[in-house]
Order: sequence, then C-alpha cells, then structure tokens
Amino acid sequence: MGFVKRQKEERADVNERVYERNCDGFSAQLKDPDPAVRRWAARDIVECPGASTVLLERLEKEEAIEVRQAIFTSLINIGDRDAITGLVECLRSEDAALRNEAIEAMKQLPEGVSAIIKELLKDDDPDVRIFAVNILEALSHPDVEEWLIDVIESDSHVNVCATAVDLLAEIGTEKSLNSLDKLRTRFSSEPYIQFAVNIAIERITNGQYHDK
Amino acid sequence: MGSTMINDIRISYEDFQKFREYFYHKTGIWFDESKRYFVDKRLVERIAATGMCNFRSYFTMLRFQASGDELQNLINSMTVNETYFFREEYQLKCLVKSVLPEITEKKFDNLPIRIWSIPSSSGEEPYSIAIYLLEYWEGINHWDVEIISSDIDTNMLHCARKGFYSHRSVQYLPAQILHKYFRNTDGGYQISEELRNVIEFTRVNLFDPTETKSYRNFDIVFCRNLLIYFDDMSRRQAAENLYDAMKPGGFIFLGHSESMSRISPLFKVRKFAEAVVYQKPYYKSEV
Repeated sequence: MGFVKRQKEERADVNERVYERNCDGFSAQLKDPDPAVRRWAARDIVECPGASTVLLERLEKEEAIEVRQAIFTSLINIGDRDAITGLVECLRSEDAALRNEAIEAMKQLPEGVSAIIKELLKDDDPDVRIFAVNILEALSHPDVEEWLIDVIESDSHVNVCATAVDLLAEIGTEKSLNSLDKLRTRFSSEPYIQFAVNIAIERITNGQYHDK
Repeated sequence: MGSTMINDIRISYEDFQKFREYFYHKTGIWFDESKRYFVDKRLVERIAATGMCNFRSYFTMLRFQASGDELQNLINSMTVNETYFFREEYQLKCLVKSVLPEITEKKFDNLPIRIWSIPSSSGEEPYSIAIYLLEYWEGINHWDVEIISSDIDTNMLHCARKGFYSHRSVQYLPAQILHKYFRNTDGGYQISEELRNVIEFTRVNLFDPTETKSYRNFDIVFCRNLLIYFDDMSRRQAAENLYDAMKPGGFIFLGHSESMSRISPLFKVRKFAEAVVYQKPYYKSEV
C-alpha cells in the first residue's frame, strides 16, 4: 500500500459516462429518475438549440438542489432572452428558494438584465419591484444610481423605497441627496424611511450632513 | 501619477468602511480594524495606478466597470499570494485525524483514495499532503492513495515537477522531515525523487466544465486560496465543477478566509476539531 499513479486506461472508476451525448438525449435525461443523470444533462445541454426552454420546464418541477443549481448555472451560461424571461417568471413564484436562486442568477447576467430592469422596476407587483432592486445591488451598470433615484422619487410602495434607500446608502453619490430628502417628506410618518434616509445621507456625505 | 499626488490621496474611516463592506461582499474577505494600514496603502496605490484622484471616483469606477478588471487588480494586491510547505497545517492535521478515518470507515472497495490538489502552484501543497500522509497517517500502510495536482499555469507545473524550493518555502518544516525528504542544492532544496514520482501534475482550468469533465471520483479536494481570486460567476462555475469531481461523501478543504456556503448551497459544512471542511452530501439512497 502507499502512493499509486495510474494510467488513464487503469482508471475504470473514473470513466466517462455511458449516456447518449446529443441534444435529444440530454432532453430525455433531464427526466431521468436519477438526479445525477439529470444534473449532467442540465450541464451538457447548454449548447443545444432551445436549451433555455427545456431547462426552465424542468426547473418548474425539479426538487433536487444539485439539479436546480446546475440548471441555474446553465441558464446563466446561455443568458439568452428566453433564459432571462424565464428567470423573471421565477421571481413571481411562491417558492422562496426558487426566487432567491433566480435573483442570484440574474445578478450574473448584467447585460441581459439591464435591458429589462426598468420594466421590472415598474412591475405591478411590489415584491417583484423589491427583487429588481435586490438585483441592482450586484449589477455593474453605470445607470444603477439613476434607476434607484427614479424608484425613490416615483414608487408608491414604502418597502420598495426602503430597499432602494438601503442600496443608495451603499452606492449613492451627491446626485441622490435631493431625492432622498424628498422621500423623507413623502413618507414623513414612516420611521424606518426617516432612519434609512438619514443613514444614507450620512454615508454619502461622510457624516458632513446635518439634519435640516 | 507621481509620488507627490499619491501622498495627497487620503482614505477616511468612512471610505475604509465602505470599501471593506464592498470587498467582503465580492470576495468573502473581511478586513478588521487592525488591517486598516494594509488596506489604505493598497487602495492608495490602486487609486494612483488607475489615474483617479480620490477614493470616491475610484470606488465608482470599481463598482461600475463592466470588465471587472480593476476589481481583479485590487484583489491581487489585497491578497498575499504566497505558499510554503505545511501551510495551514491545521487542515493537514484534520485530513489525517478526522477526514481520512471517516473516509476509510465508509470505504468498501479496493480502489485508491483519490486526492486532488488544485492549484498546484509550485508543488508545495501536494508534496505537503504526501509527506503528511507518510509521516502522520498510519492508514498509508493499508490503503492506496492517488494524488493528482493541477494548475492552469504550465510554468508552475514545470516547477512543481522539478521540485526545487527556497529556504523560505521550507521554513516551517520540522528539521527531520526536511532531511528525510529533501536534498540540499545550491541555494535551496530539492524534494526527493520518490515523492516527485508519486504525484501526477496536470494542467486544467478549474472554471472550464469541459476541461474538468475527466476529473472524477475524488475523495478529497484541496482548493485553497483560489476561489477568492474570481468573480461570482466563476466561483459558482468552479464550485459546480468541484462538486462534480467529487464522490458523494467526499471532502473539500478551502483557504481559511474562504467559505463555500457563500458560493454554493451544494455542500454541507462539517466542523471537525481541527478545521471546518465542506462535504458533498451522499445521495439519499446512500444515507
């Protein structure tokens, strides 16, 4: 016993998989009872036409975390319009884990998500608008602050505004100060908004601001 | 930008706080107050190197730069890229005292125990693992062990295969181990031929799922201080690839400042007496 160095052909235990390696095969394997098979199919299907649709269909019923993770990673890698539309739909799900996974995935797709983020920030559902602000947190885009300013100036929902203020505290500049002040007036009876706005302004001004 | 202007750049406490929160979010690395001087110095260097005039403009550029190049530069300057024999020895102790006993207790085949050390860098880590097993794990007399070590950098792999090391690199090795496994060379040491022959060094890009496909069935992975260098997506992809390279029930060691829980929900946290290690869960049918 001791150290061994094996040739490739001696490694029967690490041999390649035996499943059919083509797009039809991957689609079929996504329904296999074995999660390990489904996970590999979710990874391998990336190059196939229409992969996003097939993956999103599977995602709706998939319960194994290792398969869900592989599906999300593949959707990020594909990053096409279908993938992004499907991820947006996940934000409306009752399944909190699915929503969170979708948010994390969308944070990895700055280009595609930037194209639709304004729409999401105006969605009828305030929860979706909050998730959209959460996504902005990690989106490397020069307009993030502008979008957040627009939210705190126009959104009627206190929780959406509060989420936007929290993010402005982290990334805001002097550009946001005026709108933050207006928000404080607009929600004058909401103690959290008063508190969050004060924190944001203090951070942006490095503590130079004094309450008016 | 000249040194006079570097001297004009000031990092306020609020800047430091803002930066460390951002850096923590991006890398999982947290700088406490004692690191203030270290952080400020490197921030000032990066602000000057990028031609920015103050922290605020630099921080805005850092956040919104689409390529993420400057974040990478900053990470490189904020992390100490140093390796040596028996680095983070508590993890090697954990390997022989807790992890290997658990693996062998549940192992019912005659196949070798497979260990993957990535990145190999110049070989200190895989050779440290081999030495540790020979010196401190009785099981080496009963089990076959296969160690594969990989890196994306072929120059590093070449160095690792040759096995020449500086005094600095071996400074934490006990003297008897140094004498047993190394020979003196001009200005340093070379690791024994026996050890050089037992480790297979291979080139792989951990972030490319196609390249990692043939890396399978590892019982143990050492992937220390690598994931911190990459962005969220690369880390996510790397975690997926590591997961697929491991056997159910296999263990992965990360660097002391790294946390798999912040990268991927795929692994279980295992707290042993010596160290925190991450484990690929068994399939439900195997539990």
